[in-house]
Amino acid sequence: MARAAFLLSASLSLLPGVALAAAEEPGVRITAPVDGARLDGMDLTRLVYEVRPGPKGDHVHVYVGGKEIGILRQLKGSYTLEPLPAGAQDLCIKVVNKAHVPIGVEQCVKVVVE
Amino acid sequence: MQPENLAYALAQVVHNFGAVAVVGGAAFALWAGASSSRREAGLARLVGLGWAVQLASGTGLGAVSYYYYGRLPELHPVALAALDIKIGCAVAGLAVALRFLYRAESWNEGRRKLAWQALTALGAAALAAAAFLRWFS
Repeated sequence: MARAAFLLSASLSLLPGVALAAAEEPGVRITAPVDGARLDGMDLTRLVYEVRPGPKGDHVHVYVGGKEIGILRQLKGSYTLEPLPAGAQDLCIKVVNKAHVPIGVEQCVKVVVE
Repeated sequence: MQPENLAYALAQVVHNFGAVAVVGGAAFALWAGASSSRREAGLARLVGLGWAVQLASGTGLGAVSYYYYGRLPELHPVALAALDIKIGCAVAGLAVALRFLYRAESWNEGRRKLAWQALTALGAAALAAAAFLRWFS
């Protein structure tokens, strides 16, 4: 029984679309832009994400280059970023608690703005 | 029950009662009128204590975060500005209340009224800033 559960869990974790939903652990998944994407600096970029906050998380903060630029209370959706400055940029989403303290659940993607 | 939530809640309880003291005490003195200098001194003590409690419990909320997560809250620039306003109001409110306690006997009625108006305005400003701090973070 335990072996079957392990095999099911392991096989689910190989599918990126269900990994976050299957595991009940907190997590953040940024689906767009992808890591390493090259973006046009004149375009508005949509940050598409899905979050499982876990028992300690409450909402999420969005960061560009380490600077907090947005607050999101929806656990799944998208956020339109203002035109980004040229060069390499880190786009991050962090789960925070009610006191706005990051609880260590986050994901960042690196993009290059041209 | 998570112990961190209990710690946040207890610090928030103290913070909320501090808010009631600074706004309620000053507003009562201003609009209901203090019937005697002794009563005014009592209200000034309440308001001054309220501001001290606000500073201590606000620091306490940050300390709870640091204790459990090793870091302080990360605030949006709007929330950071609101926090600066709250701290400024608390420092100014404490200073006005202390000055009232030690100097008001030699003040005329107009000056005492001005002090209560200032304390009421500082309390209202801090209360308004608290809403922006809460929802812009």
